[in-house]
Amino acid sequence: MFDAIVVGSGMSGGWAAKELCEKGLKTLVIERGAHIEHGADYTDSLSPWEVENFGMVPEEEAAADYPIQSLCYAFSTANQHFWVKDSEHPYTVEPGKPFKWIRGYHLGGRSLMWARQSYRMSSMDFESNAEDGHGSDWPIRYEDMASWYDHVEKFAGISGSTEGLAQLPDGQFLPPMELTGAEKDFKSKLEAAWPTRKLIIGRCAHLTEAQPHHEELGRISCQYRSLCERGCSYGSYFSSLSATLPAAKRTNNLTIVTDSIVHSVIYDPQTGKASGVRVIDAKTKEGRTYEAKVVFLCASAIPTAQILLNSKSEAFRNGIANRSDAVGRYLIDHLSGVGGGGIYPSSQSHYHRGRRPNGFYIPRFRNVTEPTADFVRGYGFQGGVLRENWRRGVTRPGVGAEYKASLRAPGPWRLGMGGFGEMLPRWDNRVTLHPSQVDKWGIPLVHIDCSLGENDKKMIASMRADIREMLERAGCTEINVGEHYGGVGLGIHEMGTAHMGVDPTKSVLNKYNQSHDVPNLFITDGACMASGGCQNPSLSYMAMSARGAHFASEFLKEGKI
Amino acid sequence: MVEGARLPEVDRRALLRTAIMLVGGSLAGVPSVALGATSDRFFTPAQFAIMSEMAEIIMPRTASPGAKDAGVPDYLDALMTNWASDQRQAQFRALFDEAGGVGFMNLDDAGRVAFMRNFDAGKLRVWDPAYTKFKELVLTLYYLSELGATKELRYELIPGKWEPWTEISPDAPAWAV
Repeated sequence: MFDAIVVGSGMSGGWAAKELCEKGLKTLVIERGAHIEHGADYTDSLSPWEVENFGMVPEEEAAADYPIQSLCYAFSTANQHFWVKDSEHPYTVEPGKPFKWIRGYHLGGRSLMWARQSYRMSSMDFESNAEDGHGSDWPIRYEDMASWYDHVEKFAGISGSTEGLAQLPDGQFLPPMELTGAEKDFKSKLEAAWPTRKLIIGRCAHLTEAQPHHEELGRISCQYRSLCERGCSYGSYFSSLSATLPAAKRTNNLTIVTDSIVHSVIYDPQTGKASGVRVIDAKTKEGRTYEAKVVFLCASAIPTAQILLNSKSEAFRNGIANRSDAVGRYLIDHLSGVGGGGIYPSSQSHYHRGRRPNGFYIPRFRNVTEPTADFVRGYGFQGGVLRENWRRGVTRPGVGAEYKASLRAPGPWRLGMGGFGEMLPRWDNRVTLHPSQVDKWGIPLVHIDCSLGENDKKMIASMRADIREMLERAGCTEINVGEHYGGVGLGIHEMGTAHMGVDPTKSVLNKYNQSHDVPNLFITDGACMASGGCQNPSLSYMAMSARGAHFASEFLKEGKI
Repeated sequence: MVEGARLPEVDRRALLRTAIMLVGGSLAGVPSVALGATSDRFFTPAQFAIMSEMAEIIMPRTASPGAKDAGVPDYLDALMTNWASDQRQAQFRALFDEAGGVGFMNLDDAGRVAFMRNFDAGKLRVWDPAYTKFKELVLTLYYLSELGATKELRYELIPGKWEPWTEISPDAPAWAV
C-alpha cells in the first residue's frame, strides 16, 4: 500500500511525484514504457559522422513502424528508442479526420524530446472560456496559478527576459539567451511597423546559469550543443530524468515501476474512492494491482482519458469520474504546422557561434492589442534568423570546385517562423474507446474523432497571412509560406480530455485538479486544461501538477480523502 | 542501446573476418574483395565506380578533401543496405546504370565533368527523384563526415557558449551543423 500512485513519468508525472515525495508521501510512479537511464541511454556525445546512418531511420522501417512518429523533426536513429512504434501502439481515427499523435512511452516520457519552450498562461487565458462562451469556465484564475508558476520555474530553470506583457506574464527567469544581430534588426523593424507587436527571446527550460539547487541534482549550464532531443547528459534542459525524478528519489519516498501499463483505476463503492490501479505487465502481459490512498493520472491527455473510460464499474458505467460525460471530450491541440521563411537582408561579415537551442517569440497580438473580427482568441509565433549552411546547396544546380567553394561560406541570413494558435475546446472533438479493437495487451484502442472548427480554420488562414506580411515588411526575399496539413495533433500539445470546471455535471475536475466524482483521484496532465491558450503548455502542466499535489497532500492530512 | 539497432558497417566487416576465421580459414590469401573491398557492397563494381566518380565530381578534392577522401562512396553504399527501401535501391541502381549506359566511364576527366554538369542540371530541372536524393545524400554525407565537417567546414561538438553576432573574415568557413 502506497500513499500515492502517479500514473506516468513525463512532464506532469515527474512533478507530481517530486512534490508528493517531498511532502513525505510514499509514492509509486507507474510508467508503461521501458526504463531510460539518464546519461547512459543518451547519444549526445556523438558527432554527426558517428550517428548510425547519419540519423536516417531505414525507410521501410520508418514507413512500417513509425509512419506518424517520423513526421516529427526530432525523430532519428540517434533517439529512435524515445518514440513509440505506431505499429505496436495503434489507434483509430474517424475517416477524413487525421490526428497525428506523437508519443514516447518510456521513463521520462516526452519530457525527454520536448522543444522546451516555457510560457505562462495569462489572466486572459483563464478568462477566455467565460468571456466568449467556448468550453467550460475555468474554476481558477491566473492568481491561483502565479505562485505555482514561480515555484516550478525556480526549480526547473527557465531562461527568459522580463517584458511586462499582459498576455505573457513574466516569471522567475534565469538570464535570457541572446538574439542574433539579424533578429534584433527584425525586432526593430517589426516593432516599428506594428507598435504593439513585440519580438522577444524565447523562454526555454535551459540552465543559462545553473544555480546551486540545480547543481545539487547534477545539472550544469547549457553548453549550446543543441542536441537536446537525444537527451542531455549535462541535465542542462529540464526533463523528468534530469530534475524531478532525481529530486523525488532523494527523499527515499519514491518507487518506480516501468513496463507497467495501467489498465484502469479501481473504484471502491464502499468508500466512494479509488483504491488503486490495475496494471498489465508490458512484457509478460500478467495483471497485478497497486493500492494507494490517492491516485494521480499523469499519463498525458489521451491515455488519461483512455484509462478513465476503461475504468468501468456499477457506479461508473461510462468510466470512472465520468458522470458529466465530459471525459474524452474537448480534445484540443495547438494549431501548429503553419510556417514560412525567406532570405533576410543582413550583414555578411557577421555570424553566430554555438548552437542556441531556442529562438525568438512573438507573443500573441490578435485579440490582445489588435482586435480581430474574424475569429476569437489568438496565436504566437516562434522563429529565428540565422545564416544558412551547406543544405542550401541540395536543391541548387551545380557540381565541382566552384559549387563546393560557394557552399563553404556561411549562406545568407534566413528568417523562419511558425505559428502556434489556440484551438477552441469543442464538445464533439473527442476520444472514445474502440468498440471492438484491442491492443496486444487486451486494452481497447483509443478512437480519436477530432477536427478543425471554423474558428480554427480562420485562425490558420490569418496566421499564414500574418507570416507573409511580416516577412514582406522585414524586407525578406524568396518568401515561402507553407500550407497547413489540415489535421490535428502535430502541435504535440494534446489537452482537455478531463477538464477542470465549476459545474460537476459538465466538467471532470474541480479547482484542485480533483475529480468531482471521486475525491482521491487527481489529474494534472494536459487532460485537465479547460482551454489551451496559445502558449506551449508544459510549464502549465508543471505548475498544475505541483499545485494538485499540494492540495492532495493537504486533503490527506486533513482526512478529507 | 537502440532497439532494433543494426550493426554499423565496421562491425559487419569485423563479423565477416571473424566468420572466415571460424571456418578454419586464414586471412592470408583471401582476396581483398572478401574483406569488404567490394563483395559486401550493395552496388556492383561498375555501379560503385560510377557512383564514386559522380560524387567526386560534385564534391571534388580541392585544397580540402573531396567526396572520396571523406568516404562518401562507402557511406552511401552502406546506406543502400542499412537505410534504403527496395524502391530506393532500384532507383539508385537504375540511376548509375543510366549514366553507365551512355558511356560516362569512357569519357576523360573533362568529359565526365561536362557530362555531370548537364546531367545535374537536367535532373534537377525535372526534379528526378533518384538524382535529387543522390545529390542530397552526397552533400549530407560529405559535410557531416569527419573530414567534411572539420576540414572543409568547421565543427564543434561542445561549443560551450552562444555568441550571437561575431565578426568573421570573408574566407571563414560555415559551421557544418
